[in-house]
Amino acid sequence: MNGKPVQVSTPVGRMGQIAARLKQAAGLLVVVGYVLLTYIVANLNLNLQSLVLVAAVFGILAISLDLVAGTLGLYSLGQGGFFAIGAYATTLAATDLNINVFVLLPVILAITGLSGMMIGAMSLRVSGLYFAITTFIFTLIITVLATDLQITGGTQGLLGPPFPDFPQSLTVLGSSVAWCAMLSLFAATALVWNIRKSPLYPVLLAIRDAEPFAEAAGARTALIKIGVFGLSASLAGFAGWLFSFLGVVSPGQFDWAVSLNILVMVLLGGINTTLGPLVGAAFVSAFPAVVNINPWLQEIIYGALSIFAITVFPEGVVGIIKRYVFRDGRSETIGRADQQEAAPVPLSRPNQALMQHGPAVDEIMVECRGIEFGYGSGPKVLRNVDLIVKRGHIHGLIGPNGSGKSTLANVIAGRLRPSSGTTTVRGSRVDRFAPSDRARLGLRRTFQAAELVRELTTRQNVLVGLYSSVPGIVRRAAVWPLLPSGRRDMKQMQTRAAEALLSAGAGDWTNRRVGGVPHGIEQLTQLASVCVAGPDIIILDEPATGLSTREVDHLARILSGLKAQGVTMIIIEHQTRFLFPLCDQVTFLNAGEVILTGTADEVRANSVVRQVYLGE
Amino acid sequence: MHRRAIPFVRCTSANSYAQRDRVGRPALSAKAGWGTLLGSRSLIVSGGPRLGVSKKNKGMITLFQVILSGLAIGAIYGLIGMALAISYYVTRVINFAQGQLLMIAIMVVAAISSAGCSPWIAVLAGLAASCVIGVLSYVVAVRPILAFDRFSFGWLVSTLGFAVVVENAAAYIWGPTSRPFPPLLNSSSLHIGGAILTQQQLLAIVAAIGLAAVFELVRRHTLFGKLGMAIAADPEMASAIGANITVVAVVAFAISGLFAGIAGILIGPLTFANPYLGDTYGTYGFIAMMIGGGTEKPVAAMFGGLLLGILSEGANALINSQASDWFPFLVLVVILIFTPRGLFSSGNFLLRLRPAH
Repeated sequence: MNGKPVQVSTPVGRMGQIAARLKQAAGLLVVVGYVLLTYIVANLNLNLQSLVLVAAVFGILAISLDLVAGTLGLYSLGQGGFFAIGAYATTLAATDLNINVFVLLPVILAITGLSGMMIGAMSLRVSGLYFAITTFIFTLIITVLATDLQITGGTQGLLGPPFPDFPQSLTVLGSSVAWCAMLSLFAATALVWNIRKSPLYPVLLAIRDAEPFAEAAGARTALIKIGVFGLSASLAGFAGWLFSFLGVVSPGQFDWAVSLNILVMVLLGGINTTLGPLVGAAFVSAFPAVVNINPWLQEIIYGALSIFAITVFPEGVVGIIKRYVFRDGRSETIGRADQQEAAPVPLSRPNQALMQHGPAVDEIMVECRGIEFGYGSGPKVLRNVDLIVKRGHIHGLIGPNGSGKSTLANVIAGRLRPSSGTTTVRGSRVDRFAPSDRARLGLRRTFQAAELVRELTTRQNVLVGLYSSVPGIVRRAAVWPLLPSGRRDMKQMQTRAAEALLSAGAGDWTNRRVGGVPHGIEQLTQLASVCVAGPDIIILDEPATGLSTREVDHLARILSGLKAQGVTMIIIEHQTRFLFPLCDQVTFLNAGEVILTGTADEVRANSVVRQVYLGE
Repeated sequence: MHRRAIPFVRCTSANSYAQRDRVGRPALSAKAGWGTLLGSRSLIVSGGPRLGVSKKNKGMITLFQVILSGLAIGAIYGLIGMALAISYYVTRVINFAQGQLLMIAIMVVAAISSAGCSPWIAVLAGLAASCVIGVLSYVVAVRPILAFDRFSFGWLVSTLGFAVVVENAAAYIWGPTSRPFPPLLNSSSLHIGGAILTQQQLLAIVAAIGLAAVFELVRRHTLFGKLGMAIAADPEMASAIGANITVVAVVAFAISGLFAGIAGILIGPLTFANPYLGDTYGTYGFIAMMIGGGTEKPVAAMFGGLLLGILSEGANALINSQASDWFPFLVLVVILIFTPRGLFSSGNFLLRLRPAH
C-alpha cells in the first residue's frame, strides 16, 4: 500500500517458506484426519453415533456463541431461540410443505440471520448482564410460542424430517446425516477460525474492550456488532436445521436452560479460543452417556466437576493450555527478526493532498464555531468555543484540569454531540457524522487514558488502526486466510504495523501484549495506530503523559516529522516545555471558554494564562 | 382454560417434573441421545406455581382481589429478588443457586417436621440450612472465581454447577416426589372489602415488607451497611481503606440465604416440599430484581417483586390462566427497553454520581 514492500531477507525468508509449507502440510493432515474420523462416525452403531451427532450440533452452537461472547463480549442467551427457529422451521417446511431440505437451508440461514440482527440491534442499547437478559427473554418467548401454538405440536413436539440418504453407489460411506453433521461442524469451526485469522479479529476485540478506539479507527461498530450477531444467529439456526434430522423437535430442547448450557460449554472449554467451545460441547454432551450411574449422583458429579473445572481453569481448558504452551516466548523471536528487516521509515505516508497542491497553508482543516456543550443537565463545559486549525499547523490546546480540553477533542472527533455550534473538517460540515465517518475523512485521534485491547499485542492493536485503509476487511473476513489477496494484505498490514511501531519508538515491544507494557509504550502504540493509516489530521490527547524525558524528546521529533509531511495536529498537553516549541498556534481554555488563541510566545506572555495556568 | 379447574393450591412444578420424568429421561430426548443436562433445568414454560386468585367467586374477581393476591405472591418474588440482589450488590455475581436455597429451606422444614419435631424448630433449622448453603455457595463457587478475575463470567458456570449439585443432592436424599409441608398457620382468612386474604398471604406481605425495611435501614444507617455500599461501589478502594471484603461477602451471602429461606417458608404450605422448586422461584426472583432495578439497590427488588406479583395475577385474571407464564417476561422486556436499569433504581445517571447517603 505504501509502495515499498519491505524485502524479506534471505535466511529468515527461507525459514518462512519452510514454515508455510509445514503449515500447509499440517492443514492437509488435519483435513484428512477429520474426513477419516467422519467416516468412522458415519459407520458407528446408532446409539454412539447419535451421541456424537448431538455433540456436533452443540459444538456448532457453542462456536456460534463464542463468536459473539468471545470476540464481542455479548453474552447471548438467545442461541437456544435461534436454534429453535431453525429446527422448527425446517421440520414444518419439510414435513408439511414438502420442501427439499437443501433448498430450505439458505432460507433458514436468512431467517435466523435477520432475526439475529434484530436482536443484535438491542445490544446497542444494553450490554453485559442486561444483554444476556434480553436475549434470554427472546429464547423464552420462542419456547413459550413453541409450547402453546397448535402448529408446533405443544410439549410433545414434532418428528423431524428424514435426511436424504446417499445414492446407492455411496452407501459404503455410511450414514449420510453423520457426514452432513460432521462436515457442518468442520465448516463452522473453519469459518470462525478464518475470522480469527483475519484483520477483523483485532477490530472485533477492540469493539469489545475499547469501543471508542475501534470507532476512531473508522470501524462502524454498531453495524459490525449487528452483522456478527446475525452471523452467529445464522450458525445457531444452521445447528437447528441439522438437529431436526436427529429425531424429535420439542420445546424442552430449546429452552433458556439450553442456552445457558451452551454458555457453560463455551466457558468450560475456553472462551475466545477456536477449539474451546468444541471441547466444552463434547464434555457436556458426552458426560451423561459416559458416566452412567444413578442419575442424581451423575448430576451431582457433573455439577461438582463444572465447579472444579472453572475454578481450576478459570480461562477454560483450552485457554489454560494456550497460556502455557504458547507463551510470549515463541512470538518474541519473530518480532526481533521483523525489526531487523524493517528499515526505519517515516511514520506516515506522504500526504497526497500536500504532494498535489503544495503547502496551501491558509486552508482551514478544522473549524469549530460557537460550540456549546454540557454533560447531562449539569453546567456547560464548553461555552461558545471557536477554534480554527490551519493545514500543516500544530495547534496546542492548553488549560487547567476541567477546562474542557478533552471535551472539545471529543466534540471534534464526534464522540460527543454539542448542544449547539458547528464543526467543519476539511471544508465539509461534519455535525451529523459519527466518529467512524470522521475517521474516514482522515481525522484520527488518541485518547488520554489509552484505549487499547490489553490481550492483544501492540502490533495487533496497530492493525486496528489500518481498518479503514484496507478495503473489504469485513467482506472477506469469513474466508480471509483462503484468499491469496487476504494473505498478501495481511502480510503487508503486519509489516506496516511493525514499521509504525518502530518509528514511534516502540519497536522493542512489537509482540508484547498491551496488558504487560509500560504506560509510555501504550501511548506510543496509540500514536503508531493513528499514524499507520496516514491521516491528514491528528488529535493527540496528552500524548506525553507517562513518557520518560528521552521518550518525550523522541515524541517531539516524531511530531515534527509528521508536520514536515503536512499532517495537521491538535495537541492537548500539560507539558508546555514540550508543547510550545512545536506549536504554530496555541489556544488557552479556561472554564469552558477560549481565553486566547495566538502563538506560543503570545500565550506565554498573557497575564491571565500566567495567573491561571502557568502559575505566577 | 382447563387449568382454571385446578384447585387453589397447586403444585404444578412438581407435576410438570413428574411428567418430564427427569430420572427416567424424557422419552423424546432419549432418542437423540442427550442427557439430563440439556433441557432438564426447565420449569418456566410449564408454568410456575401461583398463589392463585381464589376461585370461589369465579368470574367476579375484583381488581382489589387481584392486587391483594398479587401483593402476596409478589412479596415472595420480592424476597427472592432481594436475596439475589444482596449477593449481587457486594460481589457482582448472580447466584444461580438462589432458588435452590429456597428449596433447601422448604425441604429441611418438611423433613424435620415429618420426623415429629415441632414445626417451629423445623423452621429455624430450615433457615439455618439455607444460610449455611448460601455461605457455602460463596466459598465454593464464587470466591475462587473472583479471586482469579473480578470481571470474568466464570461464576455463571460455578453457581449453576452448585445449583445442580444442591438440587440433585436434595432429590437423592429426599426423593423426587413432593412431600407435605407442615401448616404453620390455621387456614382462616380475612375478608377485606369483598376480597379474601388468607393468613398465609397476609404474613407473606407483612414479613416481606418488614424485612425489606429492616435491610434498607441497616444498609443506610449502620457502619456495616455503609461498608457494603463502599464495596459495591469499588471493592479495590474499599479494601484499600481496610474493609475486609471476604467477611462482608460472607455476611451478604448468609443474609441472602436467609431471605431465600424465609421466602421458602412463606410459600412452602402452598407448594409442598419438592426438590425441583428452585428454578421457578429463582427465575421469578430474578425478574423481580431486574424489573425493580435491584442490581443497584437491593430494596428496589422488593418493589419489583410486588409489581411483578400484581401484574402476573392481573394477567391471569384478565388474559387467561396461563398468561403469567409469559406476561412477566413481556413486562420485563418493555421495562428493560425503556429503563435498562430498572424502574426503582436510584434514578438517573447524574443522581447516581452523587455520593450515596
